[in-house]
Order: sequence, then C-alpha cells, then structure tokens
Amino acid sequence: MTISIGDKIPSVELNVLTGDGPVAISTDEIFAGKKVAVFGLPGAFTRTCSAKHLPGFVNNADALKAKGVDAIVCLAVNDAFVMGAWGKAQDVGDSVMMVADGSARFAKAAGLDIDMSAKGFGLRSRRFSMVVDDGEVKSLHIDEPGTFEHTSAEVMLGEL
Amino acid sequence: MTISIGDKIPSADLNILTDDGPGGISTDEIFSGKKVAIFGLPGAFTPTCSAQHLPGFVNNADALKAKGIDTIVCLAVNDPFVMGAWGKDQNVGDKVMMVADGSANFTKATGLELDLTEKGLGVRCQRFSMVVDDGEVKSLNIDEAGAVEKTSAEAMLGEI
Repeated sequence: MTISIGDKIPSVELNVLTGDGPVAISTDEIFAGKKVAVFGLPGAFTRTCSAKHLPGFVNNADALKAKGVDAIVCLAVNDAFVMGAWGKAQDVGDSVMMVADGSARFAKAAGLDIDMSAKGFGLRSRRFSMVVDDGEVKSLHIDEPGTFEHTSAEVMLGEL
Repeated sequence: MTISIGDKIPSADLNILTDDGPGGISTDEIFSGKKVAIFGLPGAFTPTCSAQHLPGFVNNADALKAKGIDTIVCLAVNDPFVMGAWGKDQNVGDKVMMVADGSANFTKATGLELDLTEKGLGVRCQRFSMVVDDGEVKSLNIDEAGAVEKTSAEAMLGEI
C-alpha cells in the first residue's frame, strides 16, 4: 500500500557514497528529529530527472532551508556509486544528499515502487516528493509515469 | 545453470543509449555473424570496474580488433542512461559498446547473476568475459567477487 500523509517513514537501510566508498545509512538517521524534503525519481542520469527535477532542488536548496527544511534528500533505485557519480555530474555539492535505494527497500516499503522491467530498468521508484517532519509524512505528491508536475521543488516551496 | 563454452548466447532484449535516447537491441543483433568480446561487471561507476576493467578494454580495443574481434561489449545490470553516462565519463568513444541489462534479462538467462541485495545493489551480474563467435561461446572466464584477474582485456588478448 502506498504511504500516506500522517504515516511514519518505514525503517529501512539505504546507502550513500562517502570519500571512503559506500556506507549504510538508516531512514532513522536521515529523518529523526529533522524536517526533511525528500524527492524520488525513476533513475539517475535520466533526462527528466537530470534536466529538471534534481537541479530544481539544488537551485532552491537555500530557499527551502530558509523555510525550515533541515535536509534535502534525493532518492532513487540506483546504487551508491551511481548516485554519487550523478551528484558530482550535477554539481550537487552538499545542497542535496544523494541517497541510494539500490535494493528498492524504501520504494517497496513505501509502496512507491514501479515495475519498469519491460523497459529494461527493473524495479524502480515512482517520481514523488514529500515533506517529512521527525519521521512523519506531512505532504506527499506522486507524478504519473513520464510526467513532472506536482513533485518539483517549486511546488514544494509554495506549500511550505 | 551458468552458460558454458560451446553454448549459444540466449536471446534477450537489451538496451543502449543513442542520441535519441534509449534504444532496444537484441542479443541476435549484437552477436549474429560477428566475433564479439564481451565483458560484464557488477556495476557502472564502481571503483574496480572504473579503475581497471573497462579502461583495460578501451586501451586494448585496437589490439583486440587486430586479432579478429569485430565488436567489444561492456554489459552491466544498469539502465542505458547510466551505461551511457559511464561510457562518456570514461571516454569510451566508439571502442566499446555500452550495453544495459537493466532488467537482468541476459544475466539471468546465462546464469551469471550475483545477488548484491544485502549491499544495496539488488541483483547484478558476476564479473565475466567471453569471446563469442557468431553467437557461440568460445571462451568464458568468471572472476571471484572483488577481483579483476581472469576477465581482463589483457587475459583475453593472451588467449586469442
């Protein structure tokens, strides 16, 4: 079942790339005691994501933080190496945390998985955005496959 | 069961990144009537692969072609956007065809899968190399996890 407003973020293990390679990070570490803007997308280096979704959050990072967001998280069903390389290619710096859900644990636990096997992508995450306060979902948007409307940084900024 | 020398390459749908986006390509299109050097690895942008395996085939592309290889194929369980971005990052040019097995169609059909779910990478492929002549496996090497030894371009050059 898809996660809803008011739900708690499920406890799963994710990964981030550090200077020493990939390390595990739990959703508890990411979300506990913080206001987090999280957005997810079907894949690193894909066109809609690269050209619009991620840069929107990078460009609006300061504005989001000025409205009380402590951390901005980009999440995809790619591994930590790919997420790290994509963040570097997009000059993300420390504005957005690039989080790898390579085994789709979060996507499945949140009911945000989408089967793109027929397109050669395996199981991925839907395009979504959430504001999460101390682990509780405060807002949730999901875009239909192939579209990018409700999940942008600009929409989130207007709602905060 | 893992593929063996003398076996035919199974028919599977794969993808490559073209200037117009991802395009489907079948194993028949890749292998039919050609002598193909193919190597597979657990993931794009991973340190062992980036630092050794792929560059080895890029650097030895001319030598392999001088020994009768028509096409060099790099395959991983990543999508075509990631494989394309990795090829660009590694300056592959037209020396190596970057082939995406994002849904693990080829990997599963050849029994070369490797479950890296615990490490947050999902199901990937083992590190392998093959020489394939008109769709028939002529040589096959598989490396243990974490090593590039038997599957290197240099090892292949010594065998053909």
